[in-house]
Amino acid sequence: MKHFTKLALAGALATVTAGAAMAEGLYLPNLSYRTGPFAATGIPLMNGQRDYMEMLNARDGGIGGVPVIFEECETGYSTEKGVECYERTKGEALVTQPWSTGITLQVLPQTNVDQIPILAPGYGFSPMSDGKTFQWAFNPPASYWDGMSMVLQAISGGDLSSLSGKKIAHLHLDHPYGKEPLPLLEAMGEAHGFEVLPIPVGISEMQNQSAQWLQIRRERPDFVIMWGWGAMNAGAITEAVKTRYPMDQFVGVWWSGHTDDLQLVGEEGAGYRAISWSLPNADAPVMADIREHVVDTGKTLASDEELGEVFYGRGIIISAILAEGIRVAQEMHGTAEITAPQLRDGLANLNFTAERIEELGLSGMMAPFSTSCANHTGHSGGWMIEWDGTQFVQASELLQADRDAIEPLEAEKAAEYAAANAPWPMNEACEAS
Amino acid sequence: MEILGSIFIDPFVDMVAAPDFLLQVLWEGLVSGVLYALIALGFVLIFRSSRIFNFAQGIMVVFAALTLVGLHAAGLPAWVAFIATLGVMFLLAVGIERVVLRPLVNQPDIILFMATIGITLFLVGGGEIIFGGENKVMISDELGIPDGSLEFNPWDGFLLIEARDVTVVFGAVVMVAALLAFLNYSRMGRAIRALGDDHQAALSVGISLTTIWVLVWFLAGIIALMTGIAWGSRAGVSFALEIIALKALPVLMLGGLESITGAIVGGIAIGLLEKLFEIYWGQPLLGGSTEAWFAYVLALVVLLFRPQGLFGEKIIERV
Repeated sequence: MKHFTKLALAGALATVTAGAAMAEGLYLPNLSYRTGPFAATGIPLMNGQRDYMEMLNARDGGIGGVPVIFEECETGYSTEKGVECYERTKGEALVTQPWSTGITLQVLPQTNVDQIPILAPGYGFSPMSDGKTFQWAFNPPASYWDGMSMVLQAISGGDLSSLSGKKIAHLHLDHPYGKEPLPLLEAMGEAHGFEVLPIPVGISEMQNQSAQWLQIRRERPDFVIMWGWGAMNAGAITEAVKTRYPMDQFVGVWWSGHTDDLQLVGEEGAGYRAISWSLPNADAPVMADIREHVVDTGKTLASDEELGEVFYGRGIIISAILAEGIRVAQEMHGTAEITAPQLRDGLANLNFTAERIEELGLSGMMAPFSTSCANHTGHSGGWMIEWDGTQFVQASELLQADRDAIEPLEAEKAAEYAAANAPWPMNEACEAS
Repeated sequence: MEILGSIFIDPFVDMVAAPDFLLQVLWEGLVSGVLYALIALGFVLIFRSSRIFNFAQGIMVVFAALTLVGLHAAGLPAWVAFIATLGVMFLLAVGIERVVLRPLVNQPDIILFMATIGITLFLVGGGEIIFGGENKVMISDELGIPDGSLEFNPWDGFLLIEARDVTVVFGAVVMVAALLAFLNYSRMGRAIRALGDDHQAALSVGISLTTIWVLVWFLAGIIALMTGIAWGSRAGVSFALEIIALKALPVLMLGGLESITGAIVGGIAIGLLEKLFEIYWGQPLLGGSTEAWFAYVLALVVLLFRPQGLFGEKIIERV
């Protein structure tokens, strides 16, 4: 009944917002996935995103005095449906939030024509960091290659040469997302003398990974790094417990650090770690505002337990990044009702200093970073979070990616992408900036 | 020459060199196979009695598991929730017969197939409205499914068998035996088989089509619940469970759509063979992830020689 009430509320809001999309306001579609096999991952993220925007509307009357029209288009994490959603919403959209590396790659060339910025926080194609080549795409505050670099630092104790002679398995969803960090991992393996063992997991095998974990038992990798999504995370963690793989040698990317997935194994999963560019902080002022303006007024779709989870907090950060981009664009262009190209300027001039993070009430939830015309990621770094048997807790100081190692590869892959999609427009103005 | 060695010699050398690991692979394949067979059984049961390919079987697994977990979360003790879930699956069967199947009697098979797609969409939407899309923990402990594992050391090696997997295999065997006994020795079971053999002849001797349809959909619901418990206790209960229905398709192609024996043999064969192929050929030679397609290729090869599947009925029509 509780869910029914919430869904009815969501339906009513969707109807209102869909109708309002043509009205005055900042139209921010979100290509969400609350249904299908990946829904368990999507729901808390989408709820966090949505609640932050609801809070801005209720507390501040929107952004810069203009209400936010935050509309979801359901993709079920399907690339085909995602492209349909993009086409359906692009007419009025200020931004595209594709929510899948597959969808991002599909719509990436189209954004040059439609001139709508893509905002893919912590996902998408890592070389999108190169703003000169990918002038409409943004993936702050950290790319997958940043994530892999930070994971390698964490497992090596900060000295990658200590990984020499070791074997590292990359357990990943057999999907563009899962394969994304492989070029960097293989390059790092060559540079530092460790062996990389890619282990793909097909979508139909997500919940029965016995073959993959038999391979892990046979190959005995020193570490397993997981790039999992949705049901794959729970499947892998269950198998890891079953095969007694040491949890302190099992590390995931930020999408594999979901409270719900670890609750399946509880105490037995203690010691599992994931890299994360966001931290939940129930005491942050923004959480109090969300409770006051969204939760207590019955506008949220989230459950009480969800509010303290990693993914809900990350959803808040994602919307905060977008809202800040809009504010910067409004200031830069002297208008509250900005256009999509103006939002691109805002997203390329983000400056999340420690002071600004505090002002926004996000203390303890994200690390400082700034973007520029040439740097569309910001590279905030991240923390290791560790499952203690009941919840994720911070388990490291802020780690930073080895940008010196990543940048040449980013430049190479960005150039390859541009050549493969020629004629590809470059933002020559970036060179001067 | 090297490639021939890696295909025809190396895998067998590996098997002999580490027989304990081979046993582990076979056990995991057997467990997977039993789970595939369970899903396939639901399809077969409905197809045998009504010639309907039930596209909704996958979502019925999800719906049954979510109902069980949801009722328990609402405060019902585990076994009461289990019985109540059986009640819900019965009501679902009655509803499907009344609202969907009865108005479509005598319609072409494809119409009935399309209707099951409609049932799928209804259950997806209804399930999400009632239970939400979040991952949930199966109430395995509360149902008395044993935890822990058994360790063996064959050939000085290591074999690990999960008590939960043993329970699944044992439960599946008991359920299949009960199902076969019901179909072969009970009055209603024989009526189901009669209806599957010839609708008109069965109707002419007084077998009620509506009663049998409710019964088979209820039996498919029971199988869905057992499948949901078995799969859900491995990796949680979420809408991702629906994907496992994909695994039933090659099993049905291999075993034949009408045969319960075919579903069991096909499921176990695919579970064992795909695991062996993935471990000894797929991972070393093809980079892994062969389970996504191996079963379909195997089924395709079988269909080339036996279009009705290994245990399917050969249809001869006079023209």
